[in-house]
Amino acid sequence: MAMTNVIEVSDLKKSFRGSKNKTVEAVRGVSLFVKQGEIFGFLGPNGAGKTTCQRMLTTLLPIDSGTAAIAGYDVKKKPNEVRKHIGYVSQLGGADLPATGRENLMLTGKLYGMKHDDVVKKISELSQLFELDELLDRIVRTYSGGQKRRLEIALGIIHEPEILFMDEPTTGLDPQNRANLWTHIRKLKENGMTIFLTTHYLEEADELADRLAIMDYGKIVAEGTPLELKRQVSEEEVARRVKREIQTNATLDDFFMKMTGRTLRDTGKEDVK
Amino acid sequence: MRILKETLLFFKRKLIETIRQPVWLFSGLMTPLLYIALFSPLLKNLSDPPLTTADVLDNFVPGLLTLLAFSSGMGAGWTVIWELQSGVIERLRVSPASRFSIMMGGVLKDIVAFLVPSILVILISSFFGFHVHLSGLAILLLLLCLLTAIISAWSGSLGLIFKEIGSLASVVTSIQLPLTLLSGVLLPLSLAPDWLRAIAHVNPMYYTVEASRVLAEGVISSTETITAFAVIVPLTVVVLWWATRVYRKAVA
Repeated sequence: MAMTNVIEVSDLKKSFRGSKNKTVEAVRGVSLFVKQGEIFGFLGPNGAGKTTCQRMLTTLLPIDSGTAAIAGYDVKKKPNEVRKHIGYVSQLGGADLPATGRENLMLTGKLYGMKHDDVVKKISELSQLFELDELLDRIVRTYSGGQKRRLEIALGIIHEPEILFMDEPTTGLDPQNRANLWTHIRKLKENGMTIFLTTHYLEEADELADRLAIMDYGKIVAEGTPLELKRQVSEEEVARRVKREIQTNATLDDFFMKMTGRTLRDTGKEDVK
Repeated sequence: MRILKETLLFFKRKLIETIRQPVWLFSGLMTPLLYIALFSPLLKNLSDPPLTTADVLDNFVPGLLTLLAFSSGMGAGWTVIWELQSGVIERLRVSPASRFSIMMGGVLKDIVAFLVPSILVILISSFFGFHVHLSGLAILLLLLCLLTAIISAWSGSLGLIFKEIGSLASVVTSIQLPLTLLSGVLLPLSLAPDWLRAIAHVNPMYYTVEASRVLAEGVISSTETITAFAVIVPLTVVVLWWATRVYRKAVA
């Protein structure tokens, strides 16, 4: 394989002190890898530990044990090198609301050490890519949900990171804006960016991810391409139903139910539909 | 060098946002002016014969500036919580920007938000007879800039630690009253019994208020001023160091 792994995680662990001084093991030995240029879907019900995992990988949370290497840098030993090579779009967003879009982009670009002229050039490029032209000089507080999301993704990639982490990027968006954002995310991949996408929407993972991992109770319970995972379910289904000769069309939902015994939407905070 | 550049970037950003909402200048000015208008007249009749307005202002305005420094820095925690909730802090913490700069941008903004109304208060009081000794006041403002930095970094870090407005507000406001009373801003602590004056010595604001009266008279070198700097300068270093640590470790 010509492709290299830009994320390599081995036996990652994290526990917190919960109520009554009980230790809660949020992440109990996660190993995974992400190849350069792919969209890696990271799924799991809320509370499965996927956000904790992502926060460790993005240097926001100290790692208890295990190793993680991002773009070739050890997250524990070289957090600042990791920071230079990643972009992060959190669920909260993170655009500065009382500033304009342009001011947000300008500041972020300069924080990553870009020269003024380069930032200006990059802003016009990004504003074309994300259709931000008319928004740039408006205060972010006046943006709609979809517009704000697009700006926040632009903020996440202004320094051309090798890897972009996205946490639930389409939560809270209407179906049109979701589809629109999916198109944008695919464009990023076409431009060669590796994307680590945390989501609890299965159709989103199905739509975008090249490979995915499902996490539950702090561990990875399944890993593969969406097709592989679906096929696994269908084959069992077919075997079970062969006598009745029923053709099945398994979805990722079926696979997810099989692995975790619960649906994602049951536990989702913000359900769509 | 990089830290300086980043600090300036954050400072500029905060300043632009502050200038866009000029309400802060109004609210910053309101408290000291209300004290001057509604409280300082009470001080006139404390002595016999009664003091003149100019005497009262000479005694009261310098201490008032300490109060202004405190209230200018105190708001930092609210801003930090607001930025935590909108994800700004998290986004910045994933960038390679130094944690010290992230914090310092807000601190420098608060210093400006202290200096502008302070100078206006001094100007306005001077129309009513307050004696302006430029060099003394300049040194006083410098001392109080450091106090603003301490309060701002402290409040901002508390914001990161508590993460929600309710707890922050109860801690900050419950500390504000004893600090004010024990600073001698309202009435000089020379009137206080020994035990009260003894407690006041743990309050950094006590030293700035003591120094402020002497400096405002135009006396540059005095025990009060030297003591105040000897307390405030190391405290600034310690608080800024601690606040940087909090920014580094903070888990949103």
